[in-house]
Amino acid sequence: MAQPKISVDLILSKLAEEAEKAGESAQKASDVLLEPLETDIAVTPYDVVYEEDRVKLKHYKPTVDVQLKRPLLVVYALINRETMLDLQPGRSVVQNFLQDGIDVYMIDWGYPARKDKYLTIDDHVNGYMDNIVNFILDKHNLDKIHLMGICMGGTFCVIYSALHPEKIKTLVTTVTPTNFDTDQGLLHIWMRDMDTDHIVDTYGNIPGDIMNLGFLLLNPARLMIDKYVGFIENMANKKFVENFVRMEKWIFDSPDVPGETFRQFIRDCYQKNLLIQSKMEVGGKRVDLKKITMPLLNYYGKYDHLVPPEACELLTSRVGSKDVEDICLDTGHIGIYVSSKCQREFAPRIARWLKERDEDKKKHKTKKTTRKKRAPKKTPKKATSSLKRKKDT
Amino acid sequence: MDDNKKNRIGPETFFSDWMKISMKFWESTASMWSGFNTTGESKPDSAQDEKTSRIQRSWESTQKTLKAWSQVVSEPETIEALFEGAGIFPDFFLKIVQTGLNRFVHLQQQWLQRAGKVQESTKSYTFENIDEDTIKVWTKLYETELRKIFNIPQLGLTRFYQEKMIRSVDKFNLFQSSLTEFLRMLSLPMEKSLQILQEKLTEMADKGNLPEDSKSYYQMWIKILEGHYMTLFQSSEYTKTLNKTLHSMSEFSEAKKELLQDTLLYMLPVPTQKEMDELYKEIYLLKKRIKELEKR
Repeated sequence: MAQPKISVDLILSKLAEEAEKAGESAQKASDVLLEPLETDIAVTPYDVVYEEDRVKLKHYKPTVDVQLKRPLLVVYALINRETMLDLQPGRSVVQNFLQDGIDVYMIDWGYPARKDKYLTIDDHVNGYMDNIVNFILDKHNLDKIHLMGICMGGTFCVIYSALHPEKIKTLVTTVTPTNFDTDQGLLHIWMRDMDTDHIVDTYGNIPGDIMNLGFLLLNPARLMIDKYVGFIENMANKKFVENFVRMEKWIFDSPDVPGETFRQFIRDCYQKNLLIQSKMEVGGKRVDLKKITMPLLNYYGKYDHLVPPEACELLTSRVGSKDVEDICLDTGHIGIYVSSKCQREFAPRIARWLKERDEDKKKHKTKKTTRKKRAPKKTPKKATSSLKRKKDT
Repeated sequence: MDDNKKNRIGPETFFSDWMKISMKFWESTASMWSGFNTTGESKPDSAQDEKTSRIQRSWESTQKTLKAWSQVVSEPETIEALFEGAGIFPDFFLKIVQTGLNRFVHLQQQWLQRAGKVQESTKSYTFENIDEDTIKVWTKLYETELRKIFNIPQLGLTRFYQEKMIRSVDKFNLFQSSLTEFLRMLSLPMEKSLQILQEKLTEMADKGNLPEDSKSYYQMWIKILEGHYMTLFQSSEYTKTLNKTLHSMSEFSEAKKELLQDTLLYMLPVPTQKEMDELYKEIYLLKKRIKELEKR
């Protein structure tokens, strides 16, 4: 008797086996979901030391002796919340910084209300940020602090450092878009023709849910289907479920973005690409990147589909500083902060870099680029390779 | 001649008798009404009394007018004149009917022409792709022809409210059509990926290397789906449709807001969003000014 082309019996027996496993897993999943779960996020203790309108300044309680003379101010984006840097114990950038002896401050932008729709980038950078920096400088009796920005918060930090270089000792930018003229990221393509004025005039503030929907549409196959298939498959694993719920809590905690800030960010950055050309104006002053003369460490993710490498890597070549470094990690937009692999490398490396530059003694004259494995090319191209890779979060 | 007239039971006599009967009916109704009012059980207070007497007076006055008019009309001379003149009625009627009919035919022709335009505007679509084309045809039909109905000027005291309501319905229709088109576009990769998966599976089955576990099939499909979405999202058609949907959604939100704010909320003793925005702006500018002054 001839061997059949397809081993149907094997496929069917495998299917029966999987069905049995699924039944067992569903039973366990029900137990897991019904018992108490630890899904709190942002549990690292802190004090709110400064408040202005909706904006708060968090000061984290040191866990070891502070080893740096100058504190580090972390500025998160206006999109989503800063809680991402402190998702859970053992997976927290903030906790890692504290363990490395860094005195950490972080801005909590809060939830903009309708009354905040008139707030511009100038109000955020030269208003809230500058007041906070002054507060920290006064509190510690210092002339300069370390500044670190995340995503759009990084863009704010770049603007701030160019406008107030005298107050910044070092600048760390992570997944920070500064060059918006790229086809690598879908956001860059979509924003190009967006009628921002109409949207802002209609909604006032840009609803967080609409933006979240936009982010989900960047990769619906992975973010709307595969992610939840993965969840169903691992529902019997309590740790997995807890981590998954924490991440969901963070992702869908989306404050609205003040309308005027959104308008200027899209128009001047995404549509006119003024920042990288040192042509952007904030508060009536030109943001000249050459005025960024402090050491600059620029982190970005090779597989970042929101802020692709092309959007980040030009910055180091446009600033006035000689001490600059690009680090491209084999990860995506969020993975840089939450993946266990990056956790081991990201925060400790920043801590080392800051320690080396905290005092005024050493002079660093480095202009280097560190890339993990193969780094993307610097020359802008119509490449779409990064878009085809899955989100690693 | 006069005797003949008197003995004849023609339409004039019939009409006169009918008028008299009607008059008597209303007369008796009026007297019943006044009787009812005067024989009330409890004596109303003076205000109520005055109100009742006003109604009664008004009723009596109407009765008198009706009676006088009926008397005049039921006089044989009037009826005769009326019926003599009735000979020219058909001419009047004919003219009225003809004018009305002409207008109606003209209007109908206009509508037929419009329907023809609909056909013209949709000629290029062949309905080969029925789902895609149906949406496009409907959108075009609505935008070019049906929408005109919503632009008919509104008249009268409630014109303002009608305009707001109609604008909101119009914007909703436009949003719905662009959203449908957008959702159709989003469903394309799903449809295509399943089709490709089937082809792939057939090919694998032919070669005899079908995967044994179900997860492999899922992994295969999700990869194809992701690829298709990426291709779609980078296309200019997608960006155009996305922007159109966002634009129409904003337009609808605006129209809905105006309808609620300027018509419904306006009547309630609460501030509108527009008023609050003005206030917020003033506060924002004042705060900014104070901060600048403090820094000096």
